[in-house]
This record gives sequence, structure tokens and C-alpha cells, in this order.
Amino acid sequence: MNDLQLLVAHATKVALIALLAGIAWRGRVRLCWSFALYVLAALLGNVLVSVWPSTFLLPSVWVLKQGVYDALKVAIALELAFRVFSALPGAARTARAVILVLLASSTVALGLLAPGSSYHTVWNWQPRVTTAALWLLTATALMAVWYQVPMHEWQRAIMLGLAPYLLVFVALLDLLRRRGWSLLEPVTTAEAFVYLGLVLFWTGAAWWGDAPQLAPTPAEAS
Amino acid sequence: MLELALSTVGCVLLCYTLGRYNRTLTLQRWHFVLNAPERQAIESLRQRMQLDSALARQAFETAGQAREDDRHPDALTVLRVALSILEDAGADRLTRLRAMGVYSRMVRAIQPLPPPSARPFRGAELRTVASLAGLVHRFLVGAGERFRLWLLVLGLGVRIVLRGGRRSADAAARGPESARPWEAFARGIDDFDALDSSHLTAFEALVASLSAVDRGDRLRLWEQIAGDSR
Repeated sequence: MNDLQLLVAHATKVALIALLAGIAWRGRVRLCWSFALYVLAALLGNVLVSVWPSTFLLPSVWVLKQGVYDALKVAIALELAFRVFSALPGAARTARAVILVLLASSTVALGLLAPGSSYHTVWNWQPRVTTAALWLLTATALMAVWYQVPMHEWQRAIMLGLAPYLLVFVALLDLLRRRGWSLLEPVTTAEAFVYLGLVLFWTGAAWWGDAPQLAPTPAEAS
Repeated sequence: MLELALSTVGCVLLCYTLGRYNRTLTLQRWHFVLNAPERQAIESLRQRMQLDSALARQAFETAGQAREDDRHPDALTVLRVALSILEDAGADRLTRLRAMGVYSRMVRAIQPLPPPSARPFRGAELRTVASLAGLVHRFLVGAGERFRLWLLVLGLGVRIVLRGGRRSADAAARGPESARPWEAFARGIDDFDALDSSHLTAFEALVASLSAVDRGDRLRLWEQIAGDSR
């Protein structure tokens, strides 16, 4: 880890703490518990790697850490879909079917088409996991708009931030696959900067996100 | 490479849809759905349709009278007034049909409608569309899809009638002596009335489906939908 990466890691740490404080203070945690867990996991991973690099900056730890992050990203997508459609059984039925198809096809793609996961074959399996998480988010967004389901601004911000980051992540892995390990340092530095940008975006949305004006409820209207 | 392409498509779709997403507007739509002032809304729509029909027919009859009296320029002017009444009414119907399409996706179940039929219509184009829709209706399973097919037929019908009305008015201007355009315009007004009748039936079915959700459930649903942002 070079000095620039260390600096970005520390800045990300501060931003993650501010984000955690924001989602706790503004009551956003209950809108997506998996997201809070993901931020905690990201903060823990960041602290371990940036404070004790000699112990934790290892390929095996990276694979483990990435596995946890991937699982939590998929959990975020599933929880958002569940929360968005929970009030509407008709839409929820369609959402369940679409999500099941996406999960099944991504499992097949990972299990049959990708070799065993290791740090040295990261570009073979990681983009598939990331693409699956991104498409879960996309399916939720498309169905929410199709069914005109009200979605909280914070849930929208989570998706709007995560999707471009996941795309950049896949693109950087593709670059690494094509150019080889010689590009590892610039690729990880670029990823760190993009991730910092993502965390800052979420922090802004958590602290200063709009509280939408509501139309009067049926009780108020009567 | 495939993953990159898929991710790009997914990301663009997500950013586009969520970028255009307006929560306040969505909540307002839900508010309308959960508070539909049922009978009052149906009655006011029925009155509006009767008024539009009466105005269009009155203008058309006045134009026909002027034509019989050989006052062709006056006849054409009043015929165009009848057409503009139909155009205004058509714009209103098309807006409501779009809104009904949105609301029909919000309700859990929708009251079934009979298959579209050519019987109430006089225009050949409209009869063909209704017959084809009657066939398609048999292949659709869900009441929601069938309802939206109805809305599609009604929307197409309004456009067909308005286009026919414009053609008839133009043809009447070109050949004031010819009776054909006047007959076609009269058929168009009859078809517009038939479409209005189906429009009202579809609106009643939607309102009935909304009122199937009782008030307590509506309040609970609203709490679930809007409660998170308080």
C-alpha cells in the first residue's frame, strides 16, 4: 500500500464513520439494515488493512473480505426489493419471480462457468458476482418504476450510488484481466478513489437527503 | 467482457429509471388511488361525457342545418367547431386512459370486463380494431392485462375517430355538395359516444376494484407506503 492509497484509505475511514453516524442519527438504519451491516464491514476491513497492513493486506484476506462485501451487497439488493414491494402483494409476487431468476442464473454462471475462486483468478468470478448484485438492484428499480411503488429517497440514494461504483469495479477488473498484474497498483488506487467518492455521496445523502413533502394521508383528507 | 456489457446496461437502466423517479408524484398518485371519491368521480365523468356529446351533436346539427340552407361557409365553420369539441374531449379521454393504465397496475385485482366487441361501433377501422382486440383478449389470462387491452383499444378508438373527423371536415371543405363526409362525421360522433360508454364502464371497473380495498386496509396500506418518510 503506497502513501497515496493510505491517505485515501484514511479519508474513506473518516467518511465511513460520518456515514454510519448519519444513517444512525437520521434514522436511516431501519430503511435498510443490510446497508448498515455493509458499512460496518467496510469500516472494519478498512481499519484492519490500513492500520495493520503487514498482517491483513494479504490475498487470502482480500478474498475473504470481498466475499463478505459481496454477500452484503446481494443482501442490500434483496432487502431493498423486499422493503419496496412488501406493501403490494401483486408486485411482490412478480418481484420474487424476477429475483429468483436472477439469483438462479447468476448461481449457474458462478458454479458452472467460473473456476474456483482465488485471488489470482479474481477477474473470472468477481465480475459475475458484482454483475448479479447490480442486476438485482436494476430489477428492483425497474419494477418500482413500473408498478409506481413509492421508494424512500435514502433507498434510491443507496441504489444510485452503488450501481455506478459496481460498474466501475467491473471495468477495473476487466482492465486488470487484459493488462495483467502490472496494473494492480493504479487499478487499486483508482478503485479506492471511486469508493471514497461513493462513500461521500452516501454520507451527503444520509445527512442532507431531502425529506419529501407528502400529500395528506387519507385520515387527514377526511 | 460479457459481464462488463451486462453491468453497463444494468447501470444505465438503473440510473435512467431512478434519475427520473419522483417519489412525491408517486405518493400523490397513491393518495388519489386510496381516496378515490368513487360514486362522485363516476357521476362527474358521466355528466362530462353527456355534455361533450350534446355539444358536439348540437354543433353538428347546426352545421347540417346551415348546409341544407346552402350556407356552406357557415356550415363548415360550425362543423369545425364540432370537431374541436371532439378534439378537446378526446384529449381528456386519452389523459384519463393513461392514468387508468397506471392505477390498474397499483391495485391487487381488477374487476373483469367483457371482451371488446365490434358491435357498438359503426366505423370500419374501429370495428376491425375492436374485433382484433376481442381475439387477443382470449389469449390473455390476467384481468389486469385484459383491462389494459381495453384501455389500448379505447385509446386507439379515440385517435381513429378524431383522425376520421379531421378527414371528413377537410373533405367537406373540398366538396361542399358531397354528403359523404357529413355521413362519416355523423358516424364518428356515434362511435365517440360508444367509446365514451366503454370508457365509463372501464372507469367504473377500476373504481370498483379500488373500493374493494376497505377504508381500514387503505389506511394501513398508506401507512406502509408513506410511513417510512415521517
